[in-house]
Amino acid sequence: MPHKILIIDDEDDIREVAALSLESVAGWDVVTANSGAQGLARAIEHKPEAILLDVMMPGMDGPTTFRELRNNPATAKIPVILLTAKVQSSDQRRFADLGVQAILFKPFDPMTLSSQIAGVLGW
Amino acid sequence: MEPIDQPALLVAMDLLWTRFLPEIKERVKILESAAAAVAAHSLTIEEKDAANGAAHKLAGTLGTFNLTRGTVLARELELMYSGGDGPDPTLAHRLVSIAAELRALVESRKLHG
Repeated sequence: MPHKILIIDDEDDIREVAALSLESVAGWDVVTANSGAQGLARAIEHKPEAILLDVMMPGMDGPTTFRELRNNPATAKIPVILLTAKVQSSDQRRFADLGVQAILFKPFDPMTLSSQIAGVLGW
Repeated sequence: MEPIDQPALLVAMDLLWTRFLPEIKERVKILESAAAAVAAHSLTIEEKDAANGAAHKLAGTLGTFNLTRGTVLARELELMYSGGDGPDPTLAHRLVSIAAELRALVESRKLHG
């Protein structure tokens, strides 16, 4: 059975490149959402093994979405990896303090994104 | 989906690039307009915030499409537009220059197909 992962990102181009990468390079099943709210709903519906979550989104941002995921018993134990273009160390510390599984950075290499994620998750 | 090799992925990436190019160019246009407004001492808060957002998105996107230099330039702009009052007008020349380089990078990206 291929791994199943949910990508939550409001940027269409990034979301589609990441989905292409994880589907075509690793052969994983990918579910996508274009907002934090949609991501919460899809996480409950599809029960992914992991979530790749953008930080800066309008409305419910990544950290807020992460807290909502943790507060819901149906999604509380799903590992979450943040994906961000914020590279300043103060931002990184703030994200790490949330308790996410890992932080990955944009831009990413579509050829190696899946191996980065697999490494973090022990897949 | 069957796993594909790197050349096939690059071709698939090119299809996405072509599809999203209008959106990417629109972000560059926002940066060009903001740079012109800084030069004219007329940058509004809305324009500054739009430029900050556009630079942030380009920083994440361009390197993913193998335009690493574009990410470096966009990050520089994001930093310059992130302050409360926006960039100092003495930086206008640099802002215009970066926006122009971003435009050239985006318009000259070669496809693999």
